[in-house]
Amino acid sequence: MSSKRISKELRDIERDPPTSCSAGPVGDDLYHWQASIMGPPDSPYAGGVFFLSIHFPTDYPFKPPKIAFTTKIYHPNINANGNICLDILKDQWSPALTLSKVLLSICSLLTDANPDDPLVPEIAHIYKTDRPKYEATAREWTKKYAV
Amino acid sequence: MSITIHIKCGQDNWEVSVEPTDTIEQLKKTIKEITEIPEDSQRLIYSGKILKDPETVESYKIQDGHSIHLVKSGLRKNNNNSQTSSNTGTPAAAVPSNIAAGQTGGFNPLNDLTSARYAGYLNMPSADMFGPDGGMNNVPNQDDMIRMMENPMVQSQMNEMLSNPQMIDFMIQSNPQLQAMGPQARQMLQSPMFRQMLTNPEMMRQSMQFANMMNGGQGQDPANSFPAPGETGEDVATENTTQNINTTNAATATTTTSTPAAGNPFAALFNPTMNPFANAQQQQQGNNGNNTTPAFDPSLFASMFGGNTQASQPEDNRPPEERYETQLRQLNDMGFFDFDKNVAALRRSGGSVQGALDALLNGSV
Repeated sequence: MSSKRISKELRDIERDPPTSCSAGPVGDDLYHWQASIMGPPDSPYAGGVFFLSIHFPTDYPFKPPKIAFTTKIYHPNINANGNICLDILKDQWSPALTLSKVLLSICSLLTDANPDDPLVPEIAHIYKTDRPKYEATAREWTKKYAV
Repeated sequence: MSITIHIKCGQDNWEVSVEPTDTIEQLKKTIKEITEIPEDSQRLIYSGKILKDPETVESYKIQDGHSIHLVKSGLRKNNNNSQTSSNTGTPAAAVPSNIAAGQTGGFNPLNDLTSARYAGYLNMPSADMFGPDGGMNNVPNQDDMIRMMENPMVQSQMNEMLSNPQMIDFMIQSNPQLQAMGPQARQMLQSPMFRQMLTNPEMMRQSMQFANMMNGGQGQDPANSFPAPGETGEDVATENTTQNINTTNAATATTTTSTPAAGNPFAALFNPTMNPFANAQQQQQGNNGNNTTPAFDPSLFASMFGGNTQASQPEDNRPPEERYETQLRQLNDMGFFDFDKNVAALRRSGGSVQGALDALLNGSV
């Protein structure tokens, strides 16, 4: 069941991937993927390519995939381990969501961070109080790690 | 026969036809003709991976009608090659070093564990060694560890990992104790002795026995016959044990690097003058020696013996006649009547009558 669904998502994503994301299995294991997200042009992450690792649970799509950044990124909702604070990856997951929708949500999280529900409070604080400083640091990290 | 693939770059979309046997380098030339983006600035991404120049189109399983993403980097030459790893080697102080930069030679110590080349690999520790948050909260049991260490594959991987300076950085960074040791830590981790110690299953077993001995011995010590708080559950005990192993190894490594003892790396343990263990051991047995451990962070030792040391080391303030009551009576029965000497001998032996007898008979008290 889960492998059928994952294969279908793979076929769709190979044929017609979202504009700014790409994903596929790391090896022959259908449950372990990697993805890359291109930094949105209107964000401080522009020009960067960010990698993520994806693990599908065996009861996918009834449980959300586990997604984490493997590229370092300066963002209020993404911590140093790459964990992402995003509701649809947790309690708001729905079986109707697909991986490409999730990746697009992560893209939009890059454009519009959610500092009111931060994973890294320090970054959220800077984001709220000193936006230019946040953008400069995010750009610096992008240049350093994702270009 | 050639296939048609789509190249996506932002809102632009191009079609190119390639031979499956073409290399990515050739594909980039074709793309350059269409987009006029120089090959150096092209980053091609398919299936979440950056495509590498020497590989072929078919090796990435790119098929007819599939889409590839193109990202302009507009940066230095070779930027998408392994050079990234050397860039990340010297990060600016303000920015923590990279945990990973995708697969372009960036560093993620867990990559190897999760990558598909170990899929179906039986002897890896089972997933339940990782806690709910992915951390190693539940320490794997000793049998698992030994079995894992005996596997040549794991051994070679360990060696590979330890010879990678980035791995060492990572280890130091992620371990506050190692951080506290400063430059010593790096030296220690890089020493061949230490590496051998970490990769040698025999060594592992020895150190586990040693750790067990430390833990077990304490439980049987009549002077400390009450169980340490927190030592009641078996889980806690094993956790301590395993924690000991790590730091035990670390500590011995430093000792042995200063006195390279051939063969038995624990030999240094029995040289009390320069051995931090000796102090710890004495303290363990309730002697509360006011020894200092030069050049070592005491917290290392505190943690080395896990909760045991801290928990069971409330200073024993009872007078010696009370503390060594049974032992003193035994010594009296054996004909040793000098109270002061008996107490001194018992102190030295940590409350063991046998040890005290040796000391008394040697005349070393």
